[in-house]
Amino acid sequence: MLAEDFNLPKQTHDIFGIMARGNFISSNGSKDGMNRLYDIVNNPDNFDRLQAYFNVIRYNIERGNNFFYFSKLHEPNSELEKKLERFERYIDIIDLLASMDNKITIGSRFRPSEIAEECNANVRLKQKLQKIPLYRSETLHNKVREICDLMSRDSYLEMEDEKTESYKVLDSYAYLLDVINSVAIYEDTTGGSDDAQGLIYN
Amino acid sequence: MENNCRILNRIVEINISNVKYADIELSGNTCFVGTNNFGKTSLQRAILFFYSANSRGLGISASQKPFEEHYFRYENSYLIYEIATEDKSFFVIVYRHNKLVFRFVDAPYNPDFFFTANDEAMKIKEIISNFEKRGIYISNQIDTFERYRNIIYGTETDKQLSKFHLLKGNEKYQNIPKSITNVFLSSKSSVDSRFIKDFIANSLTTESSSIKLEQVERQLRQFNEKYSDIETYLKKESQQLIELIDKKYDQVHMLKGAQMEMADKLGSSLRFAETQNESIREAAKKKEEELDALTTEHDTLKENIESKQNDIREEIGYYDRTIRDANKKLKAYKEQNVEEALEKNQEREKLQVELNIARREYESLTSNVASIEMKYSTLIEQLRNDKSAYINKINSRTSEIFNHYNELQLLQKNEYNKRDAELKQKRDESFNEVNSEVTAKQIEFNELKSEEKVIRTTRFYEQEIKDLESELAELRAVSYKNKSERAIKQNIAQTMQREWEALEQKLKSSLSNRINQTNNEIIKLKNEIKDIEVKLNVQHDAFYGFLEKNVKNWHNTIGKVVNEKLLFRTDITPEMKQETADTLYGISLNLETVEVVSKSIEEYQFEKNERLAAIRDLEESLNAFQTANNEEKMLAADKFGKQLGEMKEDVKVLTYSLELADKREHKLGSELEEWRHKAGVEIEQSLTGNRQRLNIIEEELTLLNKKKNNLLADFNNQFDKLKVYNEERLAELKERQETEISELEVEKKNQVKDYEDKEDELSKEKDKNFKSKGVDAKQLKGVETRMKEIQEALKEIEQYAQIVSDYLKDKREIFDKLPDFIQKKEEFVKSNNDLNTQVEEATRKFNSKRMELNKQKRAFDEELIDFNNGINFYSNNFRETPVYTKYSDIIERAEAKRTNYNIMDLCTQLLKNDSHFNEEYGAFQRYVNEFAGKFKIDNHFNFVIRNDASQGEYERFAQNLRSFINENKIELSIAETATQIGLVTDSIATKVKELSGQKDKIQHIITLIAEDFKKAEFEESKLIEFIKIRLEESDNKVYKLLKRVQEFREENGLVYNEGLFNTDFATGQKREISGRAVKLLDQLSSAIKEQEQEEIRLQDLFELKFNIKEGMNETGWTHKIDSIGSTGTDILVKAIIYITLLHVFIKESSHRSSSDFKVHCIIDEVGQISAHYLRELLRFAKNRNIMMINGLPNKSGLESHYKYTYQFRREENNNVRIFPSIVTEVEA
Repeated sequence: MLAEDFNLPKQTHDIFGIMARGNFISSNGSKDGMNRLYDIVNNPDNFDRLQAYFNVIRYNIERGNNFFYFSKLHEPNSELEKKLERFERYIDIIDLLASMDNKITIGSRFRPSEIAEECNANVRLKQKLQKIPLYRSETLHNKVREICDLMSRDSYLEMEDEKTESYKVLDSYAYLLDVINSVAIYEDTTGGSDDAQGLIYN
Repeated sequence: MENNCRILNRIVEINISNVKYADIELSGNTCFVGTNNFGKTSLQRAILFFYSANSRGLGISASQKPFEEHYFRYENSYLIYEIATEDKSFFVIVYRHNKLVFRFVDAPYNPDFFFTANDEAMKIKEIISNFEKRGIYISNQIDTFERYRNIIYGTETDKQLSKFHLLKGNEKYQNIPKSITNVFLSSKSSVDSRFIKDFIANSLTTESSSIKLEQVERQLRQFNEKYSDIETYLKKESQQLIELIDKKYDQVHMLKGAQMEMADKLGSSLRFAETQNESIREAAKKKEEELDALTTEHDTLKENIESKQNDIREEIGYYDRTIRDANKKLKAYKEQNVEEALEKNQEREKLQVELNIARREYESLTSNVASIEMKYSTLIEQLRNDKSAYINKINSRTSEIFNHYNELQLLQKNEYNKRDAELKQKRDESFNEVNSEVTAKQIEFNELKSEEKVIRTTRFYEQEIKDLESELAELRAVSYKNKSERAIKQNIAQTMQREWEALEQKLKSSLSNRINQTNNEIIKLKNEIKDIEVKLNVQHDAFYGFLEKNVKNWHNTIGKVVNEKLLFRTDITPEMKQETADTLYGISLNLETVEVVSKSIEEYQFEKNERLAAIRDLEESLNAFQTANNEEKMLAADKFGKQLGEMKEDVKVLTYSLELADKREHKLGSELEEWRHKAGVEIEQSLTGNRQRLNIIEEELTLLNKKKNNLLADFNNQFDKLKVYNEERLAELKERQETEISELEVEKKNQVKDYEDKEDELSKEKDKNFKSKGVDAKQLKGVETRMKEIQEALKEIEQYAQIVSDYLKDKREIFDKLPDFIQKKEEFVKSNNDLNTQVEEATRKFNSKRMELNKQKRAFDEELIDFNNGINFYSNNFRETPVYTKYSDIIERAEAKRTNYNIMDLCTQLLKNDSHFNEEYGAFQRYVNEFAGKFKIDNHFNFVIRNDASQGEYERFAQNLRSFINENKIELSIAETATQIGLVTDSIATKVKELSGQKDKIQHIITLIAEDFKKAEFEESKLIEFIKIRLEESDNKVYKLLKRVQEFREENGLVYNEGLFNTDFATGQKREISGRAVKLLDQLSSAIKEQEQEEIRLQDLFELKFNIKEGMNETGWTHKIDSIGSTGTDILVKAIIYITLLHVFIKESSHRSSSDFKVHCIIDEVGQISAHYLRELLRFAKNRNIMMINGLPNKSGLESHYKYTYQFRREENNNVRIFPSIVTEVEA
């Protein structure tokens, strides 16, 4: 079956290019015409056609609150585990962002320097930031930058202005919050260590 | 030297660059021979400067020194151009006077004008003074290149200078220097149709006649941003968010208001608690003191009563004991037969008398034997004395008894009276006591009754209820006022809305009328233009063309009589017949006075242009009208929108305040109800208490009445008893008196009888003695026996005398008083009982009062505890929280006032509400962020919120958003954007049209070139069979899109943009058209970004293709013309094309009357061309009045084809010397 048979929008390639990378298409994204792509996918006719088309290649378009993403049909468990591991690193990040005085919510605009400054002025936040693994940057500012970079790569943020290094929180951030919120932390009572904890993803 | 036409005859360089002096003739084909870097090109540039007079357009690269500095190094550097004319030559001096300036000299060039005798170049002043001395005209200094060109190309109006022209150019004369320059500049480049295109285009256009894509892109971007902003705003999600923001803002606002109100209450309560603390403490203390005083008073009373009771109890004990002893004694007397003893004792005196009588009888019987008479008389006398003594004694006893009993009776009466009085007094006292108690109770009862009445009429919590009622009334009044105000404002808003709509409708219909009118006029003009264009297009083949070609001044002859339609008919095949040349079918007419009716092509062109201008004017005026209409719309929107917005805002505020008032009314109503209920409960409670007390008092009153009755009965009983006792006693006394008296009377009677009997006996005895004179023994013995018996009886009586005496004493002292004792004891018992009752009553009263006081004290204590707990809670759990910081101003500034809420509750509620407020505020912030995040940071609505924005900023955002909605700013923005899309497309269309307008010129030029190629005499050599040129549509994507925009604009006119967004007034068709416009502009924007082109120039509008056949080689239609054959062929073709171009441009740009001039075509580096080709080329140029100036690297024989050949040599001092080479010119 050819793509033409589906009467697909001409942006199908772009849509696939974004979502197949595991990224999101958010309605408030402006880079690379993301909001246009969102409108295209959001169009009910287009959506059905795209869904049918992508289902052939074992992808399913999932609809979030003002964002879309791919899920894979019959995804192997190993893949799922990898995905979960990816989210694990976000727990601390979301914890940090949620603890800020000026809460980061969808549509918020901020600069890494602002977060770094707040972390610098607040011991609790500073500890939270320092606790975040994976990053090797020495200064707080660079660390926040790396976080923003990571979140931009995963399409939760969008850099709006390179000059001022200003980021905008995209609608897909809700997905991250949903996933993190559905994580239940349990105490390992049978294990030897008292600190042993585990995660359950609901 | 050819003097029959105007030509740049000579160029002289004096101290120019590294040439000290050079005099180069240029009146024919000229060739410069010299190796590279010897100055050939510099010289060619200097020649080019004569034509272009543009020091920046000479192909000098930016890295090289500018023309002025490189050429004019010295004060006495001069470039001299001599121009040959039909009669005499003149020359132009170019020198540097800060900048380059020109002077025209009306004389042929002579080196003497410039050099001294020492061959030194003079300074300009000297040169000028020399000319003046010699009487040669030298013009004033010409400061601008423009003016110089005007003079050279014959458009100068100054008569003194106008003669110094090379040719007479028309308004397009600028093409000549441009063409010459372009030939020179592109001669080195590889030959491509693009260069030819550029050549043509550059020759036709100025720098400004291009479409700057950056500008277009900016316009598109601005439009696109606005469009995208509006689109985002109109999205369902955005609208939902707006609603949520609006709703949340109201909630947050209300919560904040409620919090502030509560904070104020907390502050008031705190102040009140602080100020009232002391007074409540004092009140509580006072109550405690009252309680103490009450207790003391009660104790004292109790003690008094108890001491009285002790006394009474002692009395009772005494009487009890006395009564008990008396009874005991009575019992003992009874056991001793005291009654019998008493009876016998009563016989004692009688027995004593009888004994005395018996003794005297015995004495008389024994002693008196002599004197019987005496004896008996004495005896009888004695007896009579005894009798009278006895009677006297009895009488005295009787009177004694009588008196004794009378006395006893009197005593009894006195006693009775005394006891009666005492009893009465006691009764009265008791009655008084009971009555006073009854009265007190009655008073209390009445008081309670009136209290009940008062309670029934009292309005509890009157102040609170009154406050609430007045607040409610006030609130209702305000609500009523607000409601009517809202209704008025709604009416005004509706009226305004209708006015606005009517105005908009009016504006819309006026715009629509104007559009229709303008469109009609434009259509009419377009039709006329079409007619004119048809005429112009067919004129070549029509009668008109025939006349133009064949009949001189036909406008003044045929033009006056011919029908215009006839002129443009192509089917009438006109033919020249000499014999009727000046006649109309053989009839000669004097047409001098007849007006010319035919029009020249220029006139038609002019008419067409006029109509085009009219269309433009109409469009502009429509544009202006639309702008004015829009402005008016905006003004109306501004005026009405603002007012309407304000009005709506007012209505909203009023609605909100009404809602609040409703809520408040509801709250106050329930509070009032609560207070009323509380008041009712209070009344009920008070009434219940009152009733209970009334019942108690009633009961007490009943008891008291009962007691009073009992008391009365009791007293009556006592009185009765006393009376009965008294009467009994009196009767008893009387009876005893009478008994004793009667007994005495009986005794007296018996005794008297005895005495009388004895007297009788004595008398008889005397008589008998008298008769018998003897003593009777029997009688004596009888007397003795009787005496013994009496003595015995007296002896027995004497035995009981003591006991009788004791008894009588006891009787007199105790037994007779026993009833009194009993009575007294009973009285004391009763008194004691009364005191007990009194104690009980006092205790009851005391307890009740104490309870009341305790209750009051407890109320104060509780209030105090409540205050202290509240203040403690406030200090420990509230003062340090952020909520306090938030509302500290309000709390600290509040006035002391009693509120219905306690501090702890207020603190807790504030904390709880704050957490709710924070939740709501978080949601509000989230909505604002999400909404603002949907827009770009630089959106034109200014929907931007910083991440660290304060609460005030968030609230202002919501307020601004609300104003935005109320003032319907989105409609304004849509109108602006709709206008903008019109303006953008119009601007693009205008630019494209302007640029495309020149396409006709290009077409014309290309046609001329093609014709020129046709005319070329290639036949002779047969080297080049043909050169064909044609235009093709451009494949430039941006241009294509621009063209589509223009077509769209033409198709849809100016106003198609109402349906830009799906608003009320958009019709389906308009939406579709607007959608297309937006899509087109979007595509254009993308294409501009993709193509990265700065501007669209004339050359981008078309593609130029050549087809050249050289020998057997035919290139076919191609862009490139450098691969026709050998390099020489390429150079030849290129040169031919350039010469053709130059020829065409010169022809087009010069005045028709000016044909006697020649110009130069400067093409460097033609070394690789064959002699044959060169000859062909020179001839080709010559036929077009063009002289060639070429450069050759070395002498190769080619130079022999030029009229002038100059060689370049570098000398030791690095100067270049230019000198003519001696060659023989081969006929070109």
